[in-house]
Amino acid sequence: MRIFQKTNFNFIRYRKIAYGFSIILLVAGLVSLAVKGLNYGIDFRGGSEVVIRFEKNADVGQIRSVLDAAGVSGTLKQYGMDRSFLFSTVFQGDTGQLKSLVSNALNDRIKGNAHEIVRIDAVGPSIASDLKWSAVKALLASLFAILLYVGIRFEIKFATAGVIAIFHDILTVLGLFSILGGLFAFMPLEMDQSIIAAFLTIAGYSITDTVVVYDRIRERIRGQKPSEYERIFNESMNQTLSRTIITSGTVLLSVFVLFIFAGPAIRGFAFAVFSGILIGTYSSIFVAAPLVYDWLRITKSSVRLRGSKVS
Amino acid sequence: MKNKRFNLLLIAVVTLVALWSLWPTWRDYSLSTQLNSFSSAQDSLKYAMGHREEIDDARKKSLKLGLDLRGGMHLVMEVDQVDLFEQKAWNKDGKFAAILQNVRAKATQSDARVIDLLSVEFRNENIPLSRYFYDIRNSNQEIVTKLEKESEEALIRAKEIIRNRIDQYGVAEPVITTQGSRKIIIELPGVSDENRVRNLLKGTAKLEFRLLREPEEMLRTLDRINTYLAQNTQNGAVAAAALPVSDSSAIAPASLPLVATTPQVPVGKQPSTKPLYDVISVSPYGTAYTAERSKEYVLSLLHRSDIQALLPQDSELLLSAKPEAGKDGEKLYSIYLVRMAPELTGGVITEAKATFGSQSVQPEVMMSMNSEGTSKWARITGANIGKRIAIVLDGSVYSAPVVQSKIPNGNSVINGIGSLEEAKDLEIVLKAGALPAPVRIIEERTVGPSLGADYIRAGMLSLAWSFCAVSIFMLVYYKKAGIAADIALVLNILIVLSVLAGFNASLSLPGIAGIVLTIGMAVDANVLIYERIREELAEGKSVITAVTQGYDRAFSSILDSHVTTLSAAFLLYTYGIGPIQGFAVTLMIGTSASLFTAIVVTREIFHLLLAKNLMSDKSFG
Repeated sequence: MRIFQKTNFNFIRYRKIAYGFSIILLVAGLVSLAVKGLNYGIDFRGGSEVVIRFEKNADVGQIRSVLDAAGVSGTLKQYGMDRSFLFSTVFQGDTGQLKSLVSNALNDRIKGNAHEIVRIDAVGPSIASDLKWSAVKALLASLFAILLYVGIRFEIKFATAGVIAIFHDILTVLGLFSILGGLFAFMPLEMDQSIIAAFLTIAGYSITDTVVVYDRIRERIRGQKPSEYERIFNESMNQTLSRTIITSGTVLLSVFVLFIFAGPAIRGFAFAVFSGILIGTYSSIFVAAPLVYDWLRITKSSVRLRGSKVS
Repeated sequence: MKNKRFNLLLIAVVTLVALWSLWPTWRDYSLSTQLNSFSSAQDSLKYAMGHREEIDDARKKSLKLGLDLRGGMHLVMEVDQVDLFEQKAWNKDGKFAAILQNVRAKATQSDARVIDLLSVEFRNENIPLSRYFYDIRNSNQEIVTKLEKESEEALIRAKEIIRNRIDQYGVAEPVITTQGSRKIIIELPGVSDENRVRNLLKGTAKLEFRLLREPEEMLRTLDRINTYLAQNTQNGAVAAAALPVSDSSAIAPASLPLVATTPQVPVGKQPSTKPLYDVISVSPYGTAYTAERSKEYVLSLLHRSDIQALLPQDSELLLSAKPEAGKDGEKLYSIYLVRMAPELTGGVITEAKATFGSQSVQPEVMMSMNSEGTSKWARITGANIGKRIAIVLDGSVYSAPVVQSKIPNGNSVINGIGSLEEAKDLEIVLKAGALPAPVRIIEERTVGPSLGADYIRAGMLSLAWSFCAVSIFMLVYYKKAGIAADIALVLNILIVLSVLAGFNASLSLPGIAGIVLTIGMAVDANVLIYERIREELAEGKSVITAVTQGYDRAFSSILDSHVTTLSAAFLLYTYGIGPIQGFAVTLMIGTSASLFTAIVVTREIFHLLLAKNLMSDKSFG
């Protein structure tokens, strides 16, 4: 079976349209980030969260009013699909007190529908800022490591374009999180540690497709004149198109399964990785390689690549 | 040919090792299903006794489930280094207190090391550290090094003491580690009474025997505070009322901001003439107490430095740990004026035992002391007959008995304890020893066992579906070659699980997510190779040449993509904590294993098939 027979798209020619599309995506995301901001989870803002599960269906409004009446202030949301609710409030040093407060209020006021507190998380503000910092550090370090590695394996122009593409992917996903954050009950899209894990996964994986395209360009460009570059870039991208799409496809398949089956705790992560890999595949074809091409064209330099072996 | 045989051998060894390392997990699983299958408890007990060794062994070596899957508690505690440094300082004055206050405020905001904050603060004030720490001849640098060492030791000691407490309490397989310069991470699987564990961990267990001041002296002091407060309220009623609240948030134990308690602050329309006696009552016998509703406010008052300045030299006002019932059923906490310097501290305690008291049903803890403590205790009690000695634990007075006679045998008793359970916990913390500095819970994650079971189900479902989806896709898309890729995939999952089991790492929900993701990524290498082979075949090369060149030429991009994924996962592991590390670990193992399975294993399969003439140019779809 084959999805793509021999393709012959002129990617390089239409690159400006792709640039435009990417810029619109990024600007929309950045505007939303500036205006609406992100929906931080307790990992990054500090606070306490209680997941309460009821035996039978329960009404959000009723539970909310019961908790309000008990003097426990916070926000209550549907959590996942199965009669569970997520109650979040300010950080409590002593979660036992919070637990008994919530538990007593619900026992007293909601009869005939037993509940169970299945999870309590509490993150202090100082640890939240620690987590934020280590997230930023991990992300920057990984971008730098990738820049270095691709720089050594190919050359600095390729590496820079690749890292720009990763940046593009992560920013777009961040934008998506800002735009879509809080819109869906089954997927609150809060920024927490798992989203950072998603970003690093995207960073590590987004470059995979890019490297496949680069590798083909490297194989074919040796000894060619700069005037031939457009043709070589196009042919390389067409030749690798099917593997670029299938490699991403299998991962997308797995991540989609995670999104469906792994429950609300993983859903935000799965969404981030899914959209990140989708955009990463797009960017390796429409952003990374065209950027290298433009760079070579503008600086009128020819490629001196390392590591290409003629076999 | 030799090389090929080596590869085959390697594959066989890897598969066998993987299976061997997963065998206990399988045994553990089948033994526990066996145990559950018996209809009567007796049968299952008999079976358990008969196979005890086997069950224990299998359990010990089997793949551990993470806290989120088993249910349990994950705690991050912070050692209060500011308090530690305060203990180390001498001739403390107002200036020192102000500096520490600053440091404390900054330490809650930032991640910087407390010692750095402290030395910066001192440098800004242009005071050498040696004015308060160690020897006056020491340079700042020497003192910083010494304090650093102190805090390192304190962290390790705190960890050991916490481990002692947990071991005595009895939790199976606790994991206690330190992180950075002031954090202790505690993982307690399957804990059912979280509240008790929390209380057990939180207390410093600093036991002190302190002499009470004369009752008249305390009453005079209270009068002084009252007059001072009255003057202050008249001068600026609002400011005085607001002050204790903001002050207390920094020093007093974090109060619960959930319930909108209006503290019994006397912010009447007219400033009261006796603000202190609005919240404190004095009995004719010279004792003072406060009601439960005003306890927080009184505590915050006692922590104010301007109030502390009004106390007699070398004295401190403390509240009792447990309330007594007043005449109208109100809970009343006694107030004691005690000497600042303890007569004796908990360091001398060698043994503690929770029992019921001789005359009453009140639980109490009996303690005995080492020889040094015994002789000191005899001297102290002998010199203070007729006076009261307060037994103070973590800043609260448990009891303040009147010394009847000299106690020569080093025995002492803590009473005034609410329940036997609490007495048992006191026994544990007293035996384990006092923490070098207070610890605070700064992060806590508790997962109930039912949610854990849900997570396992969700994780298994995702694993199964993702494996089915990807392997069927490979079969459909690459036909016969897809089989090779699928075999490699199975081996890959086996390797990930066996490495986890073999290194005693635990599998968490994010870990399962990592495996699911690995399933999608592991076949990438195969896709790259197969696409290349198809290309070579399309150029009209023979199957053998196409396979060989396909593997050779796809290798560089496979390597590049794996290295980038691995480095990102590694950084995630380095900077991430807890659950995220579990994800990073499985992703790392899976990605590296796929280098082996997707390249070496599939290649050997093709070699075998080619040798038997079972491959054609149709075999790659």
